[in-house]
Amino acid sequence: MIVSSKIENKLYKVEKPERYIGREWNQIKKEGTTQKKKILLCFPDTYEIGMSHLGIKILYHLLNKQEDILCERAFAPWIDLENLLREEGLPLFSLESGHRAGDFDIIGFTLQYEMSYTNIINMLDLANIPLYTEDRDGSHPLIIGGGSTVYNSEPAAPFFDLIFIGEAEDFIIDLVNTYFNFKNQGLNRKDILKKMSKLPGVYVPSMYEVSYHKSGGVKEFNPKFPEIKKTIKRQIVNDLDQSFYPTGFLVPFMDIVHNRAVIEVARGCTRGCRFCAAGMTYRPVRERSKERILELAEKILEKTGYSELSLNSLSTVDYSDIETLVKELTDRFSGQKISISLPSLRIDEFSVRLAEEVQKVRKSGLTFAPEAGTERLRRVINKGVGEKDLYQAVRAAFNSGWDRIKLYFMIGLPTETRKDLEGIVSMVDRVKKIGRQTSGRRTNIEVSVSSFIPKPFTPFQWVAMENRESIEKKQSYLRNNIKGRGVHLSWNEPDMSLVEGLMARGDRRLAPVIEKAWQKGARFDGWNELFDFSLWEDALHKSNLKFSTFISGYSPEKCLPWAHINMGVDREFLYNEYKKALSEELTPDCRHEGRCTGCGINLLFPEADLYAD
Amino acid sequence: MLIRAEFKKLKPVRYISHLELMDTFRRSFRRARLPAAYSQGYNPHIKLALGQPLPVGMVGFSEYLDLELCAQIPASEAVNRINNNLPQGIKISEAHYIPDDAKSLQAAVNTAVYLFVMKFSGPVQPEQILQNFMARNKIEITRHRRNKKDRRLDLRPLLYEAEAEAEKLWRFTVSTGSSGNVRPSEVVRALSEQEENLESIPVVNIIREGMFVRKDEKLYKPFSEIIVND
Repeated sequence: MIVSSKIENKLYKVEKPERYIGREWNQIKKEGTTQKKKILLCFPDTYEIGMSHLGIKILYHLLNKQEDILCERAFAPWIDLENLLREEGLPLFSLESGHRAGDFDIIGFTLQYEMSYTNIINMLDLANIPLYTEDRDGSHPLIIGGGSTVYNSEPAAPFFDLIFIGEAEDFIIDLVNTYFNFKNQGLNRKDILKKMSKLPGVYVPSMYEVSYHKSGGVKEFNPKFPEIKKTIKRQIVNDLDQSFYPTGFLVPFMDIVHNRAVIEVARGCTRGCRFCAAGMTYRPVRERSKERILELAEKILEKTGYSELSLNSLSTVDYSDIETLVKELTDRFSGQKISISLPSLRIDEFSVRLAEEVQKVRKSGLTFAPEAGTERLRRVINKGVGEKDLYQAVRAAFNSGWDRIKLYFMIGLPTETRKDLEGIVSMVDRVKKIGRQTSGRRTNIEVSVSSFIPKPFTPFQWVAMENRESIEKKQSYLRNNIKGRGVHLSWNEPDMSLVEGLMARGDRRLAPVIEKAWQKGARFDGWNELFDFSLWEDALHKSNLKFSTFISGYSPEKCLPWAHINMGVDREFLYNEYKKALSEELTPDCRHEGRCTGCGINLLFPEADLYAD
Repeated sequence: MLIRAEFKKLKPVRYISHLELMDTFRRSFRRARLPAAYSQGYNPHIKLALGQPLPVGMVGFSEYLDLELCAQIPASEAVNRINNNLPQGIKISEAHYIPDDAKSLQAAVNTAVYLFVMKFSGPVQPEQILQNFMARNKIEITRHRRNKKDRRLDLRPLLYEAEAEAEKLWRFTVSTGSSGNVRPSEVVRALSEQEENLESIPVVNIIREGMFVRKDEKLYKPFSEIIVND
């Protein structure tokens, strides 16, 4: 059944109908013959968020490059379309061919944000697929997950047949083919999963059992069968130059969040900020060569028609030869009115100079992330930025013609005191003053203060989340003290952070909680206009669980809910970093200080190209 | 130099908005490597102007755009190159160079032709209805305006012609643009207020068939000699 043709002439009833029509430039539409292995990539958030996600685009183009694979896309329908589909009795459908999601052989979900779990089960439900792996069999599509929150996907794990841990480019084709081989041999779903759990990086949640302490936490996490591996090791791409990267990117009609050409220049970061999950879980650092980047840029810009090229990575300014790269890119493309953008800047004059170089064509805002208000707290989180560096960088930015600066801070960090909050206020004041002095124009300062959530696989994974009352007090202090013309303050909804903490840190007992909240209407929980805290309180209560079990800290002596995943960085290293945080001690970046910090990643991935020179 | 092109926006892309359509064109010009002219300033973009926006959900058979080029290439070559780089559902039909001082599309185009796919709840006599409709001296409707108060408006002087091409396919030629704008939904509303068997129709049942410059009671395409040299 072609669902899209039944719904197309009713789409005028929904907000942003262009989310659901597909047909973008570079869309790949294949004939759906019976020989084809049909894969649907599902993104559990809106089109404009999903289409800004690099991972799904890499996989879309990579899978479609295989002649015998057909790969299409679906995004979470906004509630208006969901209601329309349910009214009309129509299921979730793919953008390319408009087929029912349930007609695909494999459905892959991107796990990129803890607050999108209700959307995952909503999409399964809209596809008429049972939510739990235990209720599915060979007649249903294989439901797989992958992405950046797999380091602790436990709350959503019971919904998945298998989860791939790590970077999928070099493994996904094998995984698909293996599944079809077993399926064609006539094996049932359970046996297939058991066999597939032997593949590297493949985590089959149903092959493990979990026991819990009376006090709340996880007691033990064990394979159900002797042949099942105890821990699942994250898989990585050894050499970015050799790995697949698309050039004929989809070009959306819609003005999506990141509407530009993107080249991932490097993966991983060794700065070692102690709050940052990505900084710990994407190691080791691997760089794409300058030659390859230039070659990709040429092709991508030609095939997409984009006028902006973004150089992405966790810390692009740390790219070894960033100055030459930027110079060569601007030399080559500024004549075509193409601007280069760097999404993340270090706080120093070098970064501003670099930004100035790339923004010759267009001048957007500049973002700096001091993260904390005092030198002391920045030592705790291992963000070794001096206040002077910030002021110098800001002055340089205003002098070079920028008049919009964004500053990122966090509150609720371990050991935080009143002084640290006062520090945020005085830093903002000082930046305001510098703006007035140097630019003479009206400057715009956007201050974003988010609430810290201790994430798995960081040195702070054991610590408690700050309670709501205290966060609210801190937020109101900042609201009262950061104001004035041209200053804009934004912060996180404390209730939302609580649920995010729950999902980031929780275990499998939360799956029924997600289901209950969803049944009562929870959708798009990361969206302020739809988030409803009472649904979550209610769902937890009905499951006899408490927030505190998951967000009041875990004892270092006990088993963590995510202990069966091997992300590559040693537990001892993380624990040692935690100790150093408490004694306000910095750990240098091994790339720049040339001294190994012993995180353990090089031992896990000896083949990775760690730019040994 | 200015090039004025007529294009179709068809069903596959009828839900994309005016601004999205402009972005789509700009990217297709870049892919086609047209010698497009750019605006000055911090945020340079290709100089492109479209006529009156087509409502989201409506198909347009004959829409127009003005594009400024910084080097001349044959108009037919420009059409081919752009068409090879446009997504399915948008297609340039014809393009002509026009004088630099020609009136802009928004200023010149003053007439639109709409096709309505009608819906009836009982028997109707289309010719009779349209005759009665156009015979009225006054066709008052209430115009709803975003962030502004509703106002009463007489549509009659802004309606030029009405005919039924088939029982359910009605064509209206109406005034559009700054000198008096008729929204097709208002015509539908006025009709259903007059006749009880006419149901209201959604935007997807309306097609903008043509955009013209009306001069001495005649309709001209906006790139006609007589118009651009005016």
